[in-house]
Amino acid sequence: MTQEGETAGAVPDPLAPFREFAGPGGDYYGRTFLRIQQATLPARHVNAAAMAGSFVWAALRGNWLAFWIGFVADMIAAVNLALVYKYDRAAAQAVIDGKDFLVQRYEGWTDAYLLAAVVLFVAGRLLFGWLADRLYYRQYARWRIDRSLPRGLNAGRLVTAALVAALIAPLTLYRATQFPPDERACIKLTRKIQDGAPVSSKARFDCWTISEFPTLVWLERPPQYSYPRNADGTRSIVVRESTAKRPVNLNTWLSERIDQGIGYLKAFYGWVFDGITHWIRVLLNAIESVFVGTPWIVTAVMFVVIAKTAAGPRVAVFVGASLVYLALFGFWQTAMSTVSLVVAATIICVVAGLPLGIWVGKSRTGTAVVTPILDIMQTIPSFVYLLPAVAFFSIGKPPGILATVIFAMPPMVRLTALGIRQVPESTKEAALAFGASPKQLMMKVELPLALPSIMAGVNQVVMMSLSMVVIAAIIGAGGMGFIVVDALGQTEVGRGLLAGIGIALIAMMIDRVVQKANRMKS
Amino acid sequence: MNDKVIEVREVWKIFGDRAAEALAAIRRDGLDKAEVLERFEAVVGVRNVSFDVHAGEIFCIMGLSGSGKSTLVRHVNRLIEPTQGQILINGEDVGALAPEELRALRAGRIGMVFQNMALLPHRTVRDNIAFALELRDADTFTRHQTADRVIETVSLQGYGDRMPRELSGGMQQRVGLARALAADPEILLMDEPFSALDPLIRRGLQDEFLALSRTMRKTTIFITHDLDEAIRMGSRIAIMKDGEVVQIGTPEHIVTHPADDYVADFVKGISRLKLVFAHTIMEPPEKYGQEHGDPPDAEHWPRAGPEADLDSLVNLAVGEDRPIAVRSDGGRLVGIVTKDALLRGIQGEA
Repeated sequence: MTQEGETAGAVPDPLAPFREFAGPGGDYYGRTFLRIQQATLPARHVNAAAMAGSFVWAALRGNWLAFWIGFVADMIAAVNLALVYKYDRAAAQAVIDGKDFLVQRYEGWTDAYLLAAVVLFVAGRLLFGWLADRLYYRQYARWRIDRSLPRGLNAGRLVTAALVAALIAPLTLYRATQFPPDERACIKLTRKIQDGAPVSSKARFDCWTISEFPTLVWLERPPQYSYPRNADGTRSIVVRESTAKRPVNLNTWLSERIDQGIGYLKAFYGWVFDGITHWIRVLLNAIESVFVGTPWIVTAVMFVVIAKTAAGPRVAVFVGASLVYLALFGFWQTAMSTVSLVVAATIICVVAGLPLGIWVGKSRTGTAVVTPILDIMQTIPSFVYLLPAVAFFSIGKPPGILATVIFAMPPMVRLTALGIRQVPESTKEAALAFGASPKQLMMKVELPLALPSIMAGVNQVVMMSLSMVVIAAIIGAGGMGFIVVDALGQTEVGRGLLAGIGIALIAMMIDRVVQKANRMKS
Repeated sequence: MNDKVIEVREVWKIFGDRAAEALAAIRRDGLDKAEVLERFEAVVGVRNVSFDVHAGEIFCIMGLSGSGKSTLVRHVNRLIEPTQGQILINGEDVGALAPEELRALRAGRIGMVFQNMALLPHRTVRDNIAFALELRDADTFTRHQTADRVIETVSLQGYGDRMPRELSGGMQQRVGLARALAADPEILLMDEPFSALDPLIRRGLQDEFLALSRTMRKTTIFITHDLDEAIRMGSRIAIMKDGEVVQIGTPEHIVTHPADDYVADFVKGISRLKLVFAHTIMEPPEKYGQEHGDPPDAEHWPRAGPEADLDSLVNLAVGEDRPIAVRSDGGRLVGIVTKDALLRGIQGEA
């Protein structure tokens, strides 16, 4: 810091802070940083010392981003060189084995990898040299704000760099020089170890370090349970000790335990699942009797009229055209069956999701309990929902609807909760000030004000149900999805495509009508 | 005569989980707002406030934002429960009411108007106005009849079937006022009702409300952050600062005798022409006599009553060299206002 009194009028040295930051080599970095600030640094500018030192330079200067860039670039080149070594040896072995075609192939690869190694090394160093001063200047800019950041030159940082390199480089390079053992070879190795047979330490090392993560946990195979039905209709539990000699890994052990749990629930609480299946079937039958059981002329006219009154003539024309497509290509019955599934799933979603959403919107406990569950439900891939549905409810339409409900419910809950939360505090306060009871507040203020959000939720539910209903065809839910799944299996692209377009049209019809109806209302 | 409609007795409100502890500490050690926040993570909203509101008067509570005035008014219909203290309405303890009684009180006897109107956007003006009646399960016919009557009171004829969003801010606040009046309550709570409106509309609504108030004689608590408004509207004014009531009094009393520097600072810019009266600035005839000798022609001086305001005194003094004689109803000379005293009085130095 220059003091006013002593150097009055003197311009402070603009390079001083650069020098203070860079330490050794301060003149060079001072000039370079000045040119960066003046925007006169030539585009070709490279730092020769950094280019030569690469990640060592970066470690000395304490720029860890540059360290990783330089280190990874050099490692990629080194791995290519290791591959040269690997295939050179393999070629020599092939000559001994007399496998000419392998010799040719490996020698070709050797040349290619050698070229790659050289090109990558040169390109990597050039890039590094070009980046070095620019990254170093950014480090300077941050250091100006936070003086605890690394500055100057410090050989102590080389220790950290060496540790990182020692951890990464040898294993990576070793892996590149070896043909890794395949899974079967490793299973054999594990068996040998379990049986007490001798194995080479190299084989053990290769199996456990350079390919799959080693199996650390070995568990006794769980016993087998069965639940035979007695003469009086009750069930008894029969346990059979496992006859397997070998222990199993964690995955096998837990999978078998889960299967046993499901078996137990099905044996003793089957009536619950049967009951659920029954009621879903009742609901679906009622809906199907409307959509499938009505002559197509009636249903089609009904659809167009609904579209016209709810969403206007343009949407009605679109709905009409889509219906003609479905009818012409022979999808009418299947499409109606799909629509029935969607309607059934949507009804269940709304009936269950609305109160749940209100609870989440009003109570902290509700939010704490339901939000993580919803997060999980939305992260799990839709296919996974089919598993519990099949496990407890077997195959067919009811489990298909159940999987759909689980998949499509989250937006209903979330958007209902959002709508409830968005009701202004002041509006609620006003209602309370005029003597509203909690129930009146809910029915006359909160729900009406949340309605747009709730309707958006219903629209989401319909769209998501439709996509899941197609997937649920895999477990026998039928409908348009079945045609797609079947066509996929038979590689009949044309048939699948036509059905796919049909599904898209159904989705667009519902979406257009619901959205337009919402917009016209507000 | 007991015409106290609302009695607020030593009300404290402290927000925070440790409110009771904080209150005990304040009473013991006299902590201020910042110390309470630091030691108990509690915010003092209302600090030992007591006042009475008499039947038919407009009681203004004036204070800057954060002074606790909105919190205080919400105690009257128990939208906020006091940490300590009592609110009596016609002698009945509001805090002791059962939920159903409280709802009946809110729906039938207290109307409230909010700064941001807080109308229900999905209901027509008429259904908004009849909301309190609807909550008490009145039938549709009664509701519509009552609403239409109130719509006339606030001059919103023809807007009954409109939605609130189709109305301007001023009209929306008329709806808010109509909603508060619909159940014909004896008490009105007005929480900065005109603050969000632009000045011209505000002025108009103030005048209209004053006119309405004169005919309806509803006991009103009127919250405002604007001293001009408080002085225009209020029969009496309470000035709040940091949750405490600093001063309660008539507009004139507050302007001429501010209780402390804070209030004095507030009233500095207020025009005193309509607020200060002859009896405040006149000097006794004896004193005038000592200084100027006995006035020979006092009989011919311009004369004014002791209740004449500065505005009318100025009218008398313009183009007149003699002082003004202040005479009581009986014509007795009670004081003399010289030009100097008048000018000082306007300035606020009297």
